[in-house]
Amino acid sequence: MAEISFRNVSKRFGTTQAVDNASFTIADNEFFCLFGPPLSGKSTVLRLILGLETPDEGEVLIDGRVVNHIGPAARNIAMVFQNLALFPHMTAEQNVRFPLVERREPEARIKARVADAASKLHISHILHKHPGQLSGGERQRVAIARALVRDPAAYLMDDPISALDARLREEARVELKRMQREAGRTLVYVTHDQEEAMSVADRMAIFEHGAIRQIGTPDALYDQPTSAYVARLLGAPVMNILPMGANVITAPARPGAAHLGLRPEDLTVTPQPGAAATVTGVEPLGGYTVLTIAAAGETLRAMLRGQPAFATGTPVSLSAAPARLHFFGPDGTRLAG
Amino acid sequence: MTLTDTQPLIPIKRAKDEGARLGFRLTLPAQLLVLFIAVFPLLMQLYISLTDWSPLSGASWPQAWQFWNSFANYSEMIADKRLWSALGRTLFIIAICVPIEFLLGLGLATLFVDDFPGKRVAYSILIAPMMVVPAVAGYMFFMLFQSGGPVNDILSWFTLDPVAIAWLSDRHLALVAVMVTDIWQWTPLMFLILLAGLVGVPADQLKAAALLGASPWQRFRTIVIPRMKTIIIIALAIRVIECFKIFDTLFIMTGGGPGVATETISVYIYKVTTNDLIWGYVAAIALAILIVLSIGAVWAMKRLAR
Amino acid sequence: MSAITLQHLVKRFGAFTALKSMDLAIADGEFIALLGPSGCGKSTTMNIIAGMETPSEGRILFGERDMAGVPMGRRGVGFVFQNYAIFTHMSVRRNLDYGLRMTGRPAKEIARRTSAMAELLGLTDLLDRPAQGLSVNILQRLAIGRSAVMEPAIFLLDEPLSNVDAAFRAVMRTELKSLQRQFKQTMVYVTHDQLEAMTMADRIAVMDHGVLQQVGTPLEVYNTPANTFVARFIGSPGMNLFTGTLTTTSAGLAVDLGPLGISPPLALAQAAAAQQAKGAVIYGFRPEEVGLAPPSEPAFDLPLSLTERIGARTILHLGTPQAEVRAVFQSGTAIPEGLLRLAPAPAAVRLFDAGTGTALLVA
Repeated sequence: MAEISFRNVSKRFGTTQAVDNASFTIADNEFFCLFGPPLSGKSTVLRLILGLETPDEGEVLIDGRVVNHIGPAARNIAMVFQNLALFPHMTAEQNVRFPLVERREPEARIKARVADAASKLHISHILHKHPGQLSGGERQRVAIARALVRDPAAYLMDDPISALDARLREEARVELKRMQREAGRTLVYVTHDQEEAMSVADRMAIFEHGAIRQIGTPDALYDQPTSAYVARLLGAPVMNILPMGANVITAPARPGAAHLGLRPEDLTVTPQPGAAATVTGVEPLGGYTVLTIAAAGETLRAMLRGQPAFATGTPVSLSAAPARLHFFGPDGTRLAG
Repeated sequence: MTLTDTQPLIPIKRAKDEGARLGFRLTLPAQLLVLFIAVFPLLMQLYISLTDWSPLSGASWPQAWQFWNSFANYSEMIADKRLWSALGRTLFIIAICVPIEFLLGLGLATLFVDDFPGKRVAYSILIAPMMVVPAVAGYMFFMLFQSGGPVNDILSWFTLDPVAIAWLSDRHLALVAVMVTDIWQWTPLMFLILLAGLVGVPADQLKAAALLGASPWQRFRTIVIPRMKTIIIIALAIRVIECFKIFDTLFIMTGGGPGVATETISVYIYKVTTNDLIWGYVAAIALAILIVLSIGAVWAMKRLAR
Repeated sequence: MSAITLQHLVKRFGAFTALKSMDLAIADGEFIALLGPSGCGKSTTMNIIAGMETPSEGRILFGERDMAGVPMGRRGVGFVFQNYAIFTHMSVRRNLDYGLRMTGRPAKEIARRTSAMAELLGLTDLLDRPAQGLSVNILQRLAIGRSAVMEPAIFLLDEPLSNVDAAFRAVMRTELKSLQRQFKQTMVYVTHDQLEAMTMADRIAVMDHGVLQQVGTPLEVYNTPANTFVARFIGSPGMNLFTGTLTTTSAGLAVDLGPLGISPPLALAQAAAAQQAKGAVIYGFRPEEVGLAPPSEPAFDLPLSLTERIGARTILHLGTPQAEVRAVFQSGTAIPEGLLRLAPAPAAVRLFDAGTGTALLVA
């Protein structure tokens, strides 16, 4: 119902280039993530979609129509803020129905829409409470219900769950994913947590200093990053980047390559007395174990399944399947093939 | 249905202009009020201050130009000994009262940072003096400081012979009485402002300082006071400016007397205005004071903006 | 001495009991994490150790010395607050040497120790800059340095990484860990993130609602959780837990899990443990311990409802919202269409008492 497009959009604040020639299209009903380090332009893009900012250059289109000069109220995009902005003096139900009351919708419709949103978000049993009496997670759901109730073309969320406990974050992102599917609306979602982005997004856009470095499905971005920047941003522990010729693992020669990239899970580690590389750290994390290895002056990390018994100081030999290697040119671009 | 067609499409720029226009219209009554009450009389005052006009002259004030003497009033001010001693007295009162009010207010504020039983009641009692109309306060303390009054009675408890000090008839003691009244009435204001400042000091930083081995006094000196700098400047600026203008309380207590022992600058202006009726001169004095105080206020603002 | 002992610690705030009789022994030089959800009492415990709160009952000992009545300025503990509590109206230098100045150390000593600490933490270039407006990374180092320069025997950190974005967290975790190794102090670290605790701590004390649930090394709490709370809280995602009744099948003792079906037969050790239960039992297995079972073997038949592919690991959400099973596979594993046949590794199955949630331990 709403395809959102950016065509060469740029935005400056004083001397800072907040958004630099951004272009993308968000399909209808897509869970689209804007991901990148802090201050890379993601929140500005959100504000441009919403209409709180106007682009200095380029066009913002909603459903094929240029909306650069159309105010937020007229764009029918809903926003859930990180601080939720719930009205503390109203009950949850009054909060949820507020946008419809403002629009003078008939009472029957208001009741129906509120009930619908509340059941989707499992808050029907707490509608009578005030935000001060609700837990953080419950308040979040009330805020989302308030956005849902307007039947908007798309919703935007700016880092909504980063303030929750780690365990709640894991559960909340699954709920958000399910909720987006059921609601059937485009959701544009900003986050700086790569695990969260990979988990929820249908597609994501990676930002660096206001410019979009790559757009694609999480799988595509993880397996085929177009640059070392993207490769390092996704995945934990971070991809090992070694200079070519570091002689850490045997790798085929690659003309034009300055660096070799290898994900920790693709590094095979075997204890071997007398080997040059040694284990300098062991982190047992239960389901998997992260080893820190010193080899040829470089530090690498390996991710092994389960709980293999490794002690610090063990000499190990390292190898990797050639197909799992990434090669990067001097400017950081990934070489194809 | 992406864009609602129940609402017209308003371009953003036009919306912003409309907002500004609406704001202007809404504040128009207030703007006119300020014009009448502040700006207009100020211009009037400037005009009159450049003349030697008096209501006794028979002319109405718009015709004051007939008595034009340009800056003669201002040079007369500089030679006016009585004016300068009134000014000196005023500054003396400020120099004693404001620091005392500040220290007392600060001390009381530190007591009110944490909760204690009866805090609300204590708070109301502490604020009460500020609520009293200054003229009433003046009359109250006039009664208190009478020769046969309560102050002397209480003092008599501590001495062998009954105390019968004539506070308000003594040149020096009258000033003391006036200062006591001012301190009584305005310490609560300092207390309020400084309490607000104190409460704004982050508790975590105080805890961190304590954990690093700082004593309560050290915490006060290195964390609380530096972080309250802005509020302290505001409190002192407000109080100095107000104390400069001290009038109603004092006038009812002593009338500026005995003689001119408690004549502050405001009292002097009042006397010249009502007794001597040389309003041209008075306008000059008042304007000069306004300028001096404004410079002081701007200086304080500049320090705040940092 | 910097060993810490908590004996029968209780803390009440009016009608609310934040800590219900906590006993914990922390060894000298140990890095222990107090782990639990918001409101579990971990911060209260730490505040009591620091002396910011006094216990309603119980004692704290540093080494042999009872800390009752010792004010917080005299305990010799370093404390890093969640928001760092940097003195933003002072320079970096004045923050670092604050404790030394307040305790009246000679000027030469202050200068020496401050520059040594600044050097260690990479803050030398920033010493004379105002502490306001610095990046979170630097603030963390400053907060640690400010406490460390006093050379405390005990270091307390209250969720210091919760204000840091996810991207930087891993970097700062490594830094913290190496700093601890360097200073060799006893470190007590409060967090709600089990991954953080597993990564950094020598031992983890899991807490919930003011009660200590289990204390052990990361692998201990992961492999042998003492109760269902620990089983669910540790691990990403936590253990799958279902209530069921013991039932005998042709292949041996198994658990009837209602809508999920009958579990695969229990291994010997688990079957022995199951004897302690009287019929009802909680059946648990970790998402990483589940594999695709061939048609011939007993397994759960589960529909797939959601997939989370997170880099190297893929989390599958299976079953129904009422009975959700999560499984973690290596990304790239072929997932068949339709119903998935999944069985946990028999040795990895954990059983818990259906009433109390306590683990039924293998003898």
